[in-house]
Amino acid sequence: MSEFTGLGADLGMSTGTIPAVASPQTPKLPPREWVRANLFSSPFNSVLTVVSSLIILAITRGLLSFIFNPQRQWDATATNLRLLMTQAYPEEQYLRIWVSVAVILTLTGLSLAVWRAGSAVSIANVGRRLLSFGCTLALFALLAPFSARATIIWLLIAVAVAGGGGTLRRLADSERTISTLALVLIGLSGLVGSLWVVPYGNHTFELHRTPRVIAEPGTVALSTKFPWTIMLLIAVAAYFLGTYLRDRGSLNATRTTLALLWLLMPPVLLYLVLRDPDFDMGHVFGTDIPIFLACAVLGGALLNWLARPSTGEIGRIVAALVLIAAFATFLTPMRMIVRLDLLMLAAFALAAPTFSGGPRARRNYVIGWLGLLGVMSWLVTAVNTPSTIEVPGQFFLGGLSLTLMVAIFTIVISFPLGLALALARTSNMPIFRLLATWFIEFVRGVPMITILIFFSIMVPLFLPPGMHLSEVAAVIIGYSLFSAAYLAENVRGGLQSVTRGQHEAAEAVGMTTSQKTMFIVLPQALRVSIPPLVGHCIGVFKETSLLAIIGLFDVLYIARNVMPNQTEFMGSTKENILFVSLIYWLFCYQMSKASQRLEQRTGLGER
Amino acid sequence: MKSKYWKLLAVFLSIGIVAAACGSDDGGGSSTTTAAQTTTTAEATTTTEVEVVQSGSLLDTVQSRGTLNCGVSGSAVAFSETQADGSITGFDADYCRAVAAAMTGSADNVSFTALTASERFTAVQTGDVDVLMRNTTWTQSRDSSVGMDFGPTTYFDGQQLMARVGDGFSADSTVADLDGAVVCTNIGTTTEKNIAEAAEMAGAEITLLGFETSDEVYETFINGGCDITTTDGSALVGRKVRMQPDDQEWVIFPATPISKEPLGPTYGQNDSAFADAVNWTVYATIIADEYGITSANVDDHVGDEGEVGRLLGGDGELQTGMGLAADAFYQVIKQVGNYSEIYNRNLNPVGLVREGSANAGWLDGGLIYSPPAR
Repeated sequence: MSEFTGLGADLGMSTGTIPAVASPQTPKLPPREWVRANLFSSPFNSVLTVVSSLIILAITRGLLSFIFNPQRQWDATATNLRLLMTQAYPEEQYLRIWVSVAVILTLTGLSLAVWRAGSAVSIANVGRRLLSFGCTLALFALLAPFSARATIIWLLIAVAVAGGGGTLRRLADSERTISTLALVLIGLSGLVGSLWVVPYGNHTFELHRTPRVIAEPGTVALSTKFPWTIMLLIAVAAYFLGTYLRDRGSLNATRTTLALLWLLMPPVLLYLVLRDPDFDMGHVFGTDIPIFLACAVLGGALLNWLARPSTGEIGRIVAALVLIAAFATFLTPMRMIVRLDLLMLAAFALAAPTFSGGPRARRNYVIGWLGLLGVMSWLVTAVNTPSTIEVPGQFFLGGLSLTLMVAIFTIVISFPLGLALALARTSNMPIFRLLATWFIEFVRGVPMITILIFFSIMVPLFLPPGMHLSEVAAVIIGYSLFSAAYLAENVRGGLQSVTRGQHEAAEAVGMTTSQKTMFIVLPQALRVSIPPLVGHCIGVFKETSLLAIIGLFDVLYIARNVMPNQTEFMGSTKENILFVSLIYWLFCYQMSKASQRLEQRTGLGER
Repeated sequence: MKSKYWKLLAVFLSIGIVAAACGSDDGGGSSTTTAAQTTTTAEATTTTEVEVVQSGSLLDTVQSRGTLNCGVSGSAVAFSETQADGSITGFDADYCRAVAAAMTGSADNVSFTALTASERFTAVQTGDVDVLMRNTTWTQSRDSSVGMDFGPTTYFDGQQLMARVGDGFSADSTVADLDGAVVCTNIGTTTEKNIAEAAEMAGAEITLLGFETSDEVYETFINGGCDITTTDGSALVGRKVRMQPDDQEWVIFPATPISKEPLGPTYGQNDSAFADAVNWTVYATIIADEYGITSANVDDHVGDEGEVGRLLGGDGELQTGMGLAADAFYQVIKQVGNYSEIYNRNLNPVGLVREGSANAGWLDGGLIYSPPAR
């Protein structure tokens, strides 16, 4: 197969030339022969098969008898779900949480449709999966320490599942396929529907009542099942809206908009929806908006002039002066927002010659400036506005939402940072290379706990007077720097896998360094580094549990230290930890699956 | 070509010099202003500090802020638990609410901060919290070198041991009987040091096993990984009531604890007005208990003669003289309750009873005692 490169490879992929190559047929064996060929092919293999099956059975049995032991306090987990998810977020404000979930699901649905996620699987294959699932379920039902009645019920369910799978496998012809998305939808509908039917138990907690903890038989509370049903409907509606947009509108514009929305979503949800900032309108109209307008008009005019191709060298000098002025503002007392605006203007001014061109290019450049300025001004205003959410503790979120928030922000911030560090470390410019190397080696040589403690305790002391950084923000900055250093090394591994010939070929066709990096080197390097990058993201997600050390209540800390110290639920640590590990596993497994799909789409490991 | 480069270089150099000059100008100018500012700020700080000492303004700060920042543990059974809805309840939490009721008029004006044992005193010193109700033992070093002041003890605790009756221990056992035993306890607390000291003095050889959370201690104890667990008596009673398996019988000994753990409010030192307000809130709950005044019947006693009347604001002078509202302690009793109510509400569910313990009133042979309100 010829060596496709960069864009060429992508084009080849999307037109479907590569999947057209037929894969060799693997011979299909009847079950008995398959078992003989794979499990009992030699005496050693037979012993291995028997011993490892016994070990797996013993472990499964132990786990099941732990989970279904009547002594287990699953009430603790069921009653404390709210604490585990959001800690002390007030119940009367829960609508904000549901709005956030709905926004995320809408974006997910739209993206699934616009990027044509999902693939077709044959129904016969689904039937086979169901059959094996039913058999596993039956095995579990026999192994678990159920009462006779429960065992029979579970066995019946297992037989029904397996039987359904078997019939599907036999009846459906091998050509009929179903989309994986439809399968996911069926599964989720079943899950949400079961909330209305299956008696999981109604666990409530009310502070001003004795007893405070009540576990009643029946289905879950209405405040759980109703919102989730709405959420499922929203996701489905968003998907169909997405297919409409994909087929009618301009695909590229839709994709760009969606990508921007995804980037904007975390701060918007956090600072506008969840935090419910108490905007001081007088201040907003009297100070914030005038500053924004002044910067927007003056900066826009300046950039428009700078991006004119006829401006020439004098433009660079002006840009350098703007940069000096921006640094000079730090020497005199001044509003932080003005300093930040000037710094950003300097960056835009310095980059202006790269984007210079006709009226259209200039207009786009100025729009980019206005958009970024608007987002930053709004963000600074929102961050500085006090929240109306009253909670005990330092931060208004805790539990899983804090874990997710820190993980998402850290991953999103550290990705471009790590990329820049990796490029700097491999660049030809000695200053960049040295600085990046020093930074990476220093950060990688220091334990993460040290960095967390440094950023939560020391950094606020170094800030200029009058500037306040909340502990969570400080920790996210520190964690992002830490994560960026590791990410940079992963990306550097990818960069080194791009052969010299690629660089030379790109230079031979007259690409500039930035074009070469953007279109030739990075696409190939990032493709190679997908597995370590996703591994790194999984690590970032799990290591958020270290936040407990600096007094933030993440989900693991609540499960291990808070819930077992409630009068009603003393001694529930084991159950809580098992539940939390299930949560961690769900998220990490999804990330891992996403990485595998991405690898398949980019053809990693096949060529 | 060459002359063009020279011209460019000259332009850059001149700009560089101008910029450097500007920069240094700016730098010099601003550094003097910064110095001037520093001196003014320094003066400002000293004056405010003097004010703090003179007027004891943490009380004023709390009253003008309208909320009390109270440091609690957030994970101490029955003392300050984080509940399923994120609220904080318990004996310590109720005393936070009582102090808030006295200072601001409403028991709901509390902002709780959950603190770990290592960060609690720093939180007071940096002003993150106004008062600690974080089962903190009153010790000499904390009172002196750590820079804390302690209010009246609200709970007299003491370290005890718990063992299985099946292993030959009884309520009359002593530390000397521990010879050869494996003892489990939480790491990083004084319990570790206390039991080691006590065992050495009694001449018993013990093996100490440390765990990070209490649940791990008792899990190991139930499974036979250790013969003895040791921590404060209040925690042992709670664990015995809630976690003793059917096939084991646990016993707590010795009757006289091996350490003294007086727990009560803790605040920064040298702030008398604030200290008085906290202390007398505690005393008010004790006096109300002595007279049998509860949150249910306090309304009937507002106009009473004598100590009760004075406490509930009949005279007015006593409370207003210390910077509180005249009905401050009426609000405490009305909204939070007297000592017995607070105790029974939070500690009875974990099996702790007042009668016969060190925390009974002084008339019943306990240590809970208050100076008179007059």
